[in-house]
Amino acid sequence: MSEQEKPKIEPGVCIPWEEKRKEFSQITGDEELVKRVWEEVDALGYLYIWQCLLSF
Amino acid sequence: MSDEMEQRYAQRMKRYVTAMRNEKPDMVPIRPFVAEFTAKYAGYTCQEVTQDYEKAFAAARKCAADFDWDAVVANMVYGWSGLTQAIGLKYYAVPGIEIPPDTGFQYREPPEEGAWMQPDEYDQLIADPTGYLFNVWLPRVSADVCATGEPASYRNNLSFLKGGMAMLQYFGDFGTQAALLRSESGTVSAIAGILKAPFDIIADKLRGYRALCMDMFRQPDKVLVACEALAPHLLHVAASGADPDRNVPVGLWLHRGCVPFLSPDQFEKFYWPTLKQIIEGLWEQGIQTLFYAEGEWNPNLKYIAELPEQSIIYHVDRGDIFEVHKAVGHKFCLSGGVPNELLAFGTPDQVRDCCKKVIDGVARDGGYIMDASAIIQNDAKVENIMVMTEFTREYGVY
Repeated sequence: MSEQEKPKIEPGVCIPWEEKRKEFSQITGDEELVKRVWEEVDALGYLYIWQCLLSF
Repeated sequence: MSDEMEQRYAQRMKRYVTAMRNEKPDMVPIRPFVAEFTAKYAGYTCQEVTQDYEKAFAAARKCAADFDWDAVVANMVYGWSGLTQAIGLKYYAVPGIEIPPDTGFQYREPPEEGAWMQPDEYDQLIADPTGYLFNVWLPRVSADVCATGEPASYRNNLSFLKGGMAMLQYFGDFGTQAALLRSESGTVSAIAGILKAPFDIIADKLRGYRALCMDMFRQPDKVLVACEALAPHLLHVAASGADPDRNVPVGLWLHRGCVPFLSPDQFEKFYWPTLKQIIEGLWEQGIQTLFYAEGEWNPNLKYIAELPEQSIIYHVDRGDIFEVHKAVGHKFCLSGGVPNELLAFGTPDQVRDCCKKVIDGVARDGGYIMDASAIIQNDAKVENIMVMTEFTREYGVY
């Protein structure tokens, strides 16, 4: 897809990490770990709604 | 797993994959999409296999063990009303509740004015498809989910909890089912993952077919942009569920692209561009698509021929399979071509003759998988399915 056509929120994402990150005033430890786990669990929410649409 | 069963599984997988790559295996693979037929054969009602998926799984395994099939879908009935009722989905008609216990489940399309997506909501869908589905679509299609701004209810909260847990359980159990098919009967799980055309999603689950037909005239640009907005998500979901070993294809269930639902111009303009883009996107990742062309698709063959060689397995329903073979058989493996009405109302001799004609006509050089034209429901006669299987095994040896 061209740059213009790219969706505002990427496939696989409900709430982007960048949006969630703003809720933390600081992250004292490994931010990448927090980010990765947030994104993995967020993807389950994405899977839920798209599977409702496609499979049921 | 016994060595014998593992050997059988490996042999069947090789046969199935070789044919899907449009090459010649040792014999014609058999991969019937048996849905409610499994219930009939195993002694269950449609209500039992729709509401209790363990019975659907057991029925699929019994068929796989009793018939000499190379691959089956782990549960071709597929819909599980335990999940749809947990979410409160309104568009499902469940056997034993809204429809008779021995009728397969049905999708209900609302009247145009009550469409799940209203005609002025395209921009919302286009801007954020996932957000639209959660915030607008789901509250409409569910009896329990509250719309944004409404106070949350007990039923709303439960629908997400129960729906999410049920989905996790159901999909997780597909893994167990695939392992049991392999260990008990050496049968391959025929597909992995799901895909639908963007246009079909709008027709089936959002605007409804009738309303979408009007939209193609009243607001064609919105329809096109909505298809483009859905496409990357549908590609993502299909790729996420695909076979990591890239052996079996993603299932693509095609609904409204056939004749007479769309004119050739409408197909070219609205249906095809985004679907082609998705199939090519999957193929770039090494993922084949099972192009399940429900209905009469032969007028669209010139478009199908544009797809990369081997990128699809082209399943023939109402189209003339011999014409399909002439047009795209050099590029893609074909499957299907045995009419369901023949399996339901024909004699074993007629089924045998039809299978011979299909094998002679399209399977000489490999690249063909035996199957009925459409999914096999509980109207098919057991003896006809047996004949289709046994004849193919005897006659379909290379």
